[in-house]
Amino acid sequence: MAALETMVRMGELAVSSAPGHKLASLGLGSCIGLALLDRRMGIAGLAHIVLPQSQGHAQDNPRKFADLAIPEMLSELEGIGAHRIRLEAVLVGGAAMFAVAAAGLEVGQRNEEAVRDILRSVRIPVVATATGGTRGRTIRVDVASSEVTVREAGGKDSELLAGSRTLEVAA
Amino acid sequence: MSQYTELQLDALRELANIGSGTASTALSGLLGRPVDISVPKAEALPFAEAVEAAGDAEAEITGIVLGLIGDMNGTVLLLVPPPDADKLCRMLGVEPDDEFALSALGEIGNIVGSSYINALASMTGMEIEPTPPATATDFLGAIVETVLAGAAMNGDVALMLDSNLVVEREDCSISFLLVPDQGGVDLLLSRLGLA
Repeated sequence: MAALETMVRMGELAVSSAPGHKLASLGLGSCIGLALLDRRMGIAGLAHIVLPQSQGHAQDNPRKFADLAIPEMLSELEGIGAHRIRLEAVLVGGAAMFAVAAAGLEVGQRNEEAVRDILRSVRIPVVATATGGTRGRTIRVDVASSEVTVREAGGKDSELLAGSRTLEVAA
Repeated sequence: MSQYTELQLDALRELANIGSGTASTALSGLLGRPVDISVPKAEALPFAEAVEAAGDAEAEITGIVLGLIGDMNGTVLLLVPPPDADKLCRMLGVEPDDEFALSALGEIGNIVGSSYINALASMTGMEIEPTPPATATDFLGAIVETVLAGAAMNGDVALMLDSNLVVEREDCSISFLLVPDQGGVDLLLSRLGLA
């Protein structure tokens, strides 16, 4: 039976603690798919980040910016029982899809730098990445096991972060 | 402004119609074959939906992208299924696995995109120049979202002007997207007296 899968589209984010639930972003280019995982609790979140900084822009959708999406995902994760101190991060995407003359840094690279800076400031370790380069990628997160897979165009799903099931029951 | 009225979308559709008509003539001249155009769509969509509207996010596609600079900034994106990209190369006398195949496709993008843009510029009295083309074959989602990201800073809605160019008797089509930056749309509309 296929697991329930939630598509996290451009500028969206989702968190879940439901066993059998997957979160996915298909075809990430310069965007970053940021997964935050609490292995112990079987809780995961995925944000599909489009741009590094909001620069004070008041927007209908703040979730497309790294600086606004990450704090929001953290509070949603904590809201369903995740502990910030246990969170681990996986980054996928941030590619330079088109070899265009580099006027300043590519947005993909700037997205990755912004996400890493913010994670450092909230002391969340980055445990696996598939970033940069010139290829688009799909990220899938299995909520219960914290397994993260990545796929490039023309390729197969490959394991980026091994899943685990803990028998420990949180008090 | 983040949403457009039906009247405004109709006007943008008509611009796209004239632009893609000019582009199809240019493509026809380049290939030496007749080229048909579909009735263009003009859609204002939230980003999350805009990628889906362009197609299956994990479909492999060849994208040819041109930046627009001048009075209006934005991006022109041509999407070609890889088998159709191979056909286009052969029509130009280039084998698809040849090292010049990508530059042949880039040149198609350049000619089609430039003629579209020139038509748009002369209709609206704007000065717009295309930047040199860049080409990639990858997930459709990755190509489209990277183009949309360029327009994401100043809004949450992408205006997509979508036309199809079909090479007759070759079962070969090019999907053509114009994604103006937010300010660019307002300027287009004001030049049409519809701002």
